[in-house]
Amino acid sequence: MKVLLVEDNERVTQFVVKGLQEAGHTADHAGNGRDGMFLAASEPYDVIIMDRMLPGEIDGLAIIEALRKSGKRTPILILSALSDVDERIRGLRAGGDDYLTKPFAFGELLARLDALTRRSQGDSAQTKLEVADLRVDLLTRKVTRGDRSLTLQPREFKLLEYLMRHADQVVTRTMLLENVWDYHFDPQTNVVDVHISKLRQKIDADFERPLLRTVRNAGYTLTSHD
Amino acid sequence: MKFLRSSALTLAVGYIGLGLAALALFAAPLWYAWRVTIQEGRNEILQSDAQRLTEVFRREGAAGLISYVDQRVGLQIAGERLLLVADARLKPLAGNLSAWPSSVPANPGTYTVKLELGQHMTDVAIVHATLAGGYHLLVGRDTSRYAPLERRFWYALAGAVAILSVLGTVGGILIRRALMARIHGIRQTVSAIIQGDLSHRLPTHHSGDELNTLSQTINGMLDQIEQLIDGVRNVSNAIAHDLRTPLAELRSRLEELALTKPPIDKTFGEIDAAVADVDQVIRIFNALLRLAEIDSGLRRSGFVPVDVAAVAAAAVEFYQPAAEVRGSTLSLDAAGPAPIRGDPVLLAQALGNLIDNALKYTPGDGSIAVAVRRSDDGSVEIVVADSGPGIADTEKIKAIERFYRGDASRCTPGVGLGLSLVDAVARLHGSELKLEDNHPGLRARMVLTQDTRPITRAARATSDEGEFRHEPVYP
Repeated sequence: MKVLLVEDNERVTQFVVKGLQEAGHTADHAGNGRDGMFLAASEPYDVIIMDRMLPGEIDGLAIIEALRKSGKRTPILILSALSDVDERIRGLRAGGDDYLTKPFAFGELLARLDALTRRSQGDSAQTKLEVADLRVDLLTRKVTRGDRSLTLQPREFKLLEYLMRHADQVVTRTMLLENVWDYHFDPQTNVVDVHISKLRQKIDADFERPLLRTVRNAGYTLTSHD
Repeated sequence: MKFLRSSALTLAVGYIGLGLAALALFAAPLWYAWRVTIQEGRNEILQSDAQRLTEVFRREGAAGLISYVDQRVGLQIAGERLLLVADARLKPLAGNLSAWPSSVPANPGTYTVKLELGQHMTDVAIVHATLAGGYHLLVGRDTSRYAPLERRFWYALAGAVAILSVLGTVGGILIRRALMARIHGIRQTVSAIIQGDLSHRLPTHHSGDELNTLSQTINGMLDQIEQLIDGVRNVSNAIAHDLRTPLAELRSRLEELALTKPPIDKTFGEIDAAVADVDQVIRIFNALLRLAEIDSGLRRSGFVPVDVAAVAAAAVEFYQPAAEVRGSTLSLDAAGPAPIRGDPVLLAQALGNLIDNALKYTPGDGSIAVAVRRSDDGSVEIVVADSGPGIADTEKIKAIERFYRGDASRCTPGVGLGLSLVDAVARLHGSELKLEDNHPGLRARMVLTQDTRPITRAARATSDEGEFRHEPVYP
C-alpha cells in the first residue's frame, strides 16, 4: 500500500518509514502541515498517518477537516502524544478513522493501517465470512468448520467475526479490546489471550490445520496461508 | 500613626461623629422650644403685672399707684422684680430703680435690655407702658433667674458629648484590639503557611461570626491544598521509586550490551527485554495520566446515563475465562438494571480493576462475587468480594494510596495504581472506595449516588452533556 506520513519528529519518521518499507509498502513523508496538506490533496494514497501537533500554521486536525470537506475519503490514522479520551474523540470527530497514541509499537501501527485499508475496500455488507473451511453466517449466526457445526458464546462469536473480517491481517490485543469489548483502556492482564485460547480450542483443536495464530510481539491473525 | 489608619478606629470615629450629630439634632429644637416657652411665659407675667398696675393707676390715680408700688417694693426682694414709676420727664417717682434706665426704648412695648443691677450688667426683660398724664411705668424681671437651669442643660449636653466620645473611643480601641488579636492570629498562621508548613490552621471557635465563618472557609481551602500537595508529593516519591526501577534495569541492560557486544541472537533477546522495560514505564505513565485526568474532574462533563449492572455483566463476562483458567469462580449478582449518571468507560475500568485485583490475589479454587444493588434512593452499590487472603486492617487505607503494593504482591505483575484508580473513579461519581473484611477475603465496596458532587478533590463540574464517550473506532 501507499502511505503518507505527516510527522515532524525525525526519529519517529525514520522508524515508521523504514518499518513500512520493510513490510513491503511505499511511504511518502511530509515534515510540516503545509507539505502534508499539499501531498494529501494531490497524490492518491491508500492511507495517511497524521501527527496532530505540526510545525507551521496548519495542525493535523485542520488538515483532516480540510481534506474531508474537499471530499477526500482516504482513511486517516491520527498519531498523537495527546492521550486524553477527549482528545481522541476530537480527532475522530474531525474525520480521523483511528487514533493511536505515542509512544506506540510498530506492530500496532502496521496492524491498524492494514485494518484501515482493508476496511475501506468495503466488506461490511457481507453476510457470509469464509476462511479456508471455516464459515460464519452472520444472519443465522451459524459457525461451521468443514462439515462440523461449532457452538460459540455470543462474545466468542463477535471475536471470531472480527478476526474473520480482518483475515490474513495481524490484529493486536488493543484492537480486539476496542472493537470486540469496546474497552478503551489497558486491563493490564492477559485476558485477551485467554479469550483467544478458548476460541482456538473451539475452532482449531480438533483440526489438522490451525487457522488462528499468534504473531509474536504483535497479536493474532486468522489465516489459511502458511 | 498605625492606630489612625486602623479601620476599627475609623469606624469608631465615624460612630462618635454620628452620635454627636444625633445629639445636636435632638438638643437644638428642645433648646429652642424651651427658650421660647420661658420667654413667652415671662412676658405674659410682666404684661399682666403692668396691666394690674395700670388698673391701680386708673382707679386710684398717680398717688395711689406710687404708694402701691412703694408698698410692693418694700415687701419684695430686690432684683426679683423691677418696678419703676416715672413722670413725663422720666424722673423716678417710685420703685426699686434709682434712675430711668437709658437703654429702655422711648416707645411703650416689651423688650429685653441690658441693665446695671448691683455691680453687674444683666439681661432684663421689661414691659414699658405709658399711663395717662405722661407717667411711665416699667415692669421688669431679671432673666438670670433661669441661668442655672440653662447652665445645667448645657452641662448635661456637654456631659453627654463627653460620655459619647469617651465610650466611643474606648469601644473603638477595644474592638480594634480584639480584631487585631484575631487578625494577628490569622496573619501568624498564614505566615507559617507561606514559610511552607501547611499543617497550620486558622483559629476558629463556635461563635459563628463573620471572621469565624471566613476562617472556616479558608481552613477548608487549606485542607484541599494540603491534600493536593500531599498527593503530588506522594506521586513524585512513588514515581521516583517505581519508575526508576525499570529505568535502571533498562539502562544497565543497554550499557551492558554496548560494553560486552554479545552475539547477535543474544543481542536481540536483550533488545526485546529492553522494549518490555520501556513498555512497563509507559504503562505506569499512562496509569498516572489517567489518574490525573480523573482527578481533574473534567470527565464529569461527559457523564451520561449508564446501567451499572450491564457494565458489571460485561466486565464479569470479560474476566470469566481468566477465572476459569485459574480454577476460580467468578459470579455476578445483579437484580435488574441499575442506572446512574456516570462515565461508562471509567466505570468499566474500575470494575475491571477490582475483578482483576481479586483474581490476582485469590488463589486457585477461590471465589469472586460481584454484586450490583440499586437502593430505593437511586444509589447503586457495587461490591467485589473475594475469598483470598484479604488485607490487614492497618494496610487497608494504604492499599488505596498510589503505587502501594502489599509486600506479598511485589512479585505479581501490576503497577500499584489499580485501587487508587478505582478510588478516583468512585470519587468522581460522588463515592469512595471502601475495603472491608469478607471473612475470609476482601470486600471492595462503593456506593455511587445520583448526586455526583465530588467528595474531596477539587473538580470543575459542568452541566454540559453534549459529549458522547463511547464512540467505537470501527463503526
